[in-house]
Amino acid sequence: MSRLVKKSPSLCTDLPLDNTVICNKLQLLRQLLKSCFGPTGRLKQVHNNIGGHVVTTSTSSVLLPAISSSQSFINLIKTSILNHVSRFSDCGLFAAILCLSLIEQAKQSGLSGSVAIGVNKHLLGLCTSYLQREDCGCKVKLDFCSSHNLITLASSIISSKPACVLTESEVLHISKLAVQAFLLTVPCNSPGDVSLGQTVSISVEGHPVLNSAVFPGLLVDTPDDLCLDKSENQHSNPLRLVLFSASLAGDLSELGDGKIDMHPGVDTDSQILDQLLELVKRVVKDEVKVFVCQKVIHPVVQQYLKRHGVIVIERLGITLMEPLTQLTGAQPVATLNTTIPAKAYGKVKDLSILQFGSKTMLHLQPPGESSICTMILCHRNETMLSELKVACQKTEHVLRLTLREPSALLGGGCTETHLAAYVRHKSMKEVTETVSALGCSRTEHLRGVDGFCRSLESVAAALEHDGGDSVMDLTHAHHWTRPADVMKEQEDSSGFCGCGLMESSPNQRWTYLNTNYQEFSPAPLSGGAAVQPRVLDSFTAKLNALQVAVETANLALDVRYLIQDMN
Amino acid sequence: MCAFQGAGMLPVEHLHLEHVLQTVCVLESVVRRSFGPEGGQVLFTQDTGRAMLSRSGARILTALRLEHPLARMVVECVLKHSTVTGDGSKTFILLMASLLRIIHTTACKEPNVSHAYNSKAAAEAAAARHLADKMLAFALEELHDLIAVGVVPYGSCLSWEDFTTQTQLQAHANNHCVQNLLASFFHSRLGRTHCDLMSNLTCELLTHWEFENDLPSSSLHFVKDNLAALHTPVSGFPISCSRLMKGQVIHRDFAAPCPRTDRQPVKAVVFTGFLQPKLLRAEEVLELGCGEEGKQRNIVQFSAWAERSLERVIANLQRLGVSVLLSAVKQSAAVLALAAQAEMSVVECVSEDELSLFARLSGATPVTDCWMIEPEHVALLTFCRPILLGAHRYVHVAFHDSEERVTVKPCSLVICGLGEGQTDQYACALRDAIRMLLSTWEPTGVTATTASERTRQSNTSTSFHTDDQIPNAAPFKQCVLEPGCVIAAGGTFEFLLSHALLQHGSSCSICDDTMMGVPAVCQLLANALLSVPRQIYSHSPRRFLLTQTRLLSSVQNHSHPFSLAHKEEHNTILIRVGGDCECPLEEGKLTKHCCREADVSPKAFMSDSGLESVSCKYQVLLAVLQCVSSVLRVDAVLHTHTALHSQSHRRPNASWDGTDDEAED
Repeated sequence: MSRLVKKSPSLCTDLPLDNTVICNKLQLLRQLLKSCFGPTGRLKQVHNNIGGHVVTTSTSSVLLPAISSSQSFINLIKTSILNHVSRFSDCGLFAAILCLSLIEQAKQSGLSGSVAIGVNKHLLGLCTSYLQREDCGCKVKLDFCSSHNLITLASSIISSKPACVLTESEVLHISKLAVQAFLLTVPCNSPGDVSLGQTVSISVEGHPVLNSAVFPGLLVDTPDDLCLDKSENQHSNPLRLVLFSASLAGDLSELGDGKIDMHPGVDTDSQILDQLLELVKRVVKDEVKVFVCQKVIHPVVQQYLKRHGVIVIERLGITLMEPLTQLTGAQPVATLNTTIPAKAYGKVKDLSILQFGSKTMLHLQPPGESSICTMILCHRNETMLSELKVACQKTEHVLRLTLREPSALLGGGCTETHLAAYVRHKSMKEVTETVSALGCSRTEHLRGVDGFCRSLESVAAALEHDGGDSVMDLTHAHHWTRPADVMKEQEDSSGFCGCGLMESSPNQRWTYLNTNYQEFSPAPLSGGAAVQPRVLDSFTAKLNALQVAVETANLALDVRYLIQDMN
Repeated sequence: MCAFQGAGMLPVEHLHLEHVLQTVCVLESVVRRSFGPEGGQVLFTQDTGRAMLSRSGARILTALRLEHPLARMVVECVLKHSTVTGDGSKTFILLMASLLRIIHTTACKEPNVSHAYNSKAAAEAAAARHLADKMLAFALEELHDLIAVGVVPYGSCLSWEDFTTQTQLQAHANNHCVQNLLASFFHSRLGRTHCDLMSNLTCELLTHWEFENDLPSSSLHFVKDNLAALHTPVSGFPISCSRLMKGQVIHRDFAAPCPRTDRQPVKAVVFTGFLQPKLLRAEEVLELGCGEEGKQRNIVQFSAWAERSLERVIANLQRLGVSVLLSAVKQSAAVLALAAQAEMSVVECVSEDELSLFARLSGATPVTDCWMIEPEHVALLTFCRPILLGAHRYVHVAFHDSEERVTVKPCSLVICGLGEGQTDQYACALRDAIRMLLSTWEPTGVTATTASERTRQSNTSTSFHTDDQIPNAAPFKQCVLEPGCVIAAGGTFEFLLSHALLQHGSSCSICDDTMMGVPAVCQLLANALLSVPRQIYSHSPRRFLLTQTRLLSSVQNHSHPFSLAHKEEHNTILIRVGGDCECPLEEGKLTKHCCREADVSPKAFMSDSGLESVSCKYQVLLAVLQCVSSVLRVDAVLHTHTALHSQSHRRPNASWDGTDDEAED
């Protein structure tokens, strides 16, 4: 340390949740995140003060890191939501809105911190055990025999990112591609532990979205002067490939710290080059047709290889090394003096050149069944493209999560309203036991339950941004929205509920969300397989999001003192 | 906060009793928020901008970055105390504040303001100092006996079986004790919602790490020393996902994609150095010649030699059937490539702690010389596979059972939390819980510093010797708190001790009734102690009174809980403890014996409010008294200026040393 700076004392705040400044900030954050939620959410433009890149987004994983606050409360909530998103890729805004509503509701209910925490934790336990039950009314089993539900799940995620600016048919196209890519990465015929493959995505700007495509195998940037000599390739199929992880530029590496004393007239460079050529000669003799190097290849060596009809790919980069070894079965070579064993060579079935806008790419096709594929994403401009890329990555992750737990939850706010109704009903039934276990009074418990359920309902209501009403039916407790401009008489024609499983019928009874209603046990839908839900959410992600939201809210409610290091 | 600054040449700050009190009261007001069952967390933002939650008193006090030297001194005392016992830092501050308040009021009332002092303040300070010293002297002399007679009988004793027995027969009755103790600890650290989960996990962890033919507390020592290697923090998950995992997690990923091996067992070798020989060391010179002998001195030949030697090492490993290489350093690309070709997976840059734990658990010695790899270097594993925990991929290994360690079931703890701050908090709480258990378990080893001499004697010499040497039997006092003594939480210790103090005071008052006498000191200490339960029940003063009367009435009912016979038994136990500590079986039996006391003690003391360690409480009290007496001995603070400050200070009158300033800039 060149300079010692005296540490300044910290700034302290007592009972921060009673502080109006902090409460206002939390409320502001909630409004901000609420306005981004769902397919009709409003977009946010993020740009920094030095005129950098402008990002248009409504995704929590992009938006939250951009929000920087001096308030440690905001940071606490932000980090735990971001941690959730980085593990599960979905339901970030759900968790954030739920957490902030829970804090606000607990404040409004006037319960003491520890009572509110106890009730919240108890109700969370009710929710998680209900969601994990077989007969849970808002859960759908995923069937891998048909891709229908998988595509629904994918399209729910992609359509919940309005910053991608996609039409309905584009959403469907991208969802299908995402499911296709996902299915390609699942190996079919390996028994025992399965290791999933990889999807490499390449983005191309300025092309219509419908041009996006998925290819089995890898696409790599090609050298400019590549011409495929078809006739030559034909005779040996599959083609032999060698992969080097060491530099072939002719430099000296890993010699150690010692000095090298050179006599005049010694030409080390040419000695090394001779050695490289020796190596390459052996490779050519082994009938290698594709020569790939992670790093740089000496031009003379390249020239030699090309003369012998070998296709040279250099500067592959570390990220493509693993997919390439998986694709071809090659083992990277890093020794220049030892002979390369036959099993270190990999295989490629065929090579072809693909043209995508300005990009020319070499397509390496897998020799047999392979779990590596490449996804090319096209979009009209850069901002939308980057949002689309994020959306596709999340979709891939969420689809992978379904392998562990093949279920999904009803989307469109139906899960939230259903859970709220269930919690109200269940906790009323067990009120005596709960009250004695938690050590609180009946009214305190009631207020706690009400706050929790209202928070859940307010998340469902946050899906509506155009001034419409959010209502819930009183039989299955699904979520419905009514546009603001529809007259009272027409309300029966509101069509389907949020998830699309229920169709409205004239004898249904309704309640507005966040109003009091007589608690009831929400009945599961007895529907046959005829009706498929239109919106599905990831089960694993939502379950964790629910737990994270409640736990974060509990932590925040437990804070009694704030110390801020001012250094 | 106080000020005679800057007026004179050297800023002198005279410390008055009020200032001391004020400083400690400020600390108290911070700590109070997270104290007791109704307490909450303190959220602090570090200078790095990271948000961090804590209920640990030590953590909170360090986060304050206090400036006042006196406050810093107090905080240092707290830290010193809490690194030993892992507990009691909030109680420390509360007790200290209340002691100082009581000393202050007493000193102000002091009637005989002597003419020797030229001001009232000086007289007060002297009286306070005197009082504090008296208290400390009293505590060092008598407190131990008082606790042994007035508190311990109402508590109970943990036995080692509590930690270890898995058998259902007695587990649910006994294991409750340790779990209760841990649960109350975690309650005070993490809040009520997580305390059961964490105490279950800790108990399970300790159970798995039981070394059979070793001293019982060795398991605690082992976990304490290896905690960093034994736990994996995972953020982004709720805490309920925390779990124990069989085997060891090495916190690194495979350097190369690992080939799948179905061979059983998996053989692994640990390397501490480079596999590929370093070609040129710093002091060496490579001479590259030319001409006819150039063939021998070609640079290419030279590196070829290195590669060939590496090949031979790998071939040797292959001969031994090794398929996993663990390395402390980063290996060269050639090593990775050759290992991949030989179907070996490589894990690089493994930390030293993890490697030594691995070596201990597998029984294999790490390789230092690559040319000498023998079968004793080869560790046998049942599996070695990648595991994804949160954002990171780690290596998960499980050990082949060998005869030496059939009892130990190696396992490692996955601590889940919402963010890094939370996992840190949980891990710290776990570490402190282990410390707390250790100091509960081994109260003699960690007694207050002034008593260390006596402790050493009692440990080394047999009881007969000590009897001869020290007629007042001081070593016995050290041992009266037998290992693992616990008492119901919720202020029971304080209520009982203050009661015992008052009784003791009144019994002494016949012979001595001066102002600074034993009765007065007892009275003051008893009052100060009550401030802790008062804080615990601060939300309902009625419960404070209720608890107090309930406890005191049951004390009166059982006016002498120990029969004479029982007392004798006690003494024999003590002798054995002092005499032959190295006999573990004996000790195991002994503690089981002591556990019967739990049945003796009245039910009122075994309420469901949890348990606390008596020895920790005792140590807090001693530490506080020492801190108070040392703080009160300070009468002024001199603010000296070192080079760091001089620059800013000198600037106004810089005319005469302008050159100096330039040099500094």
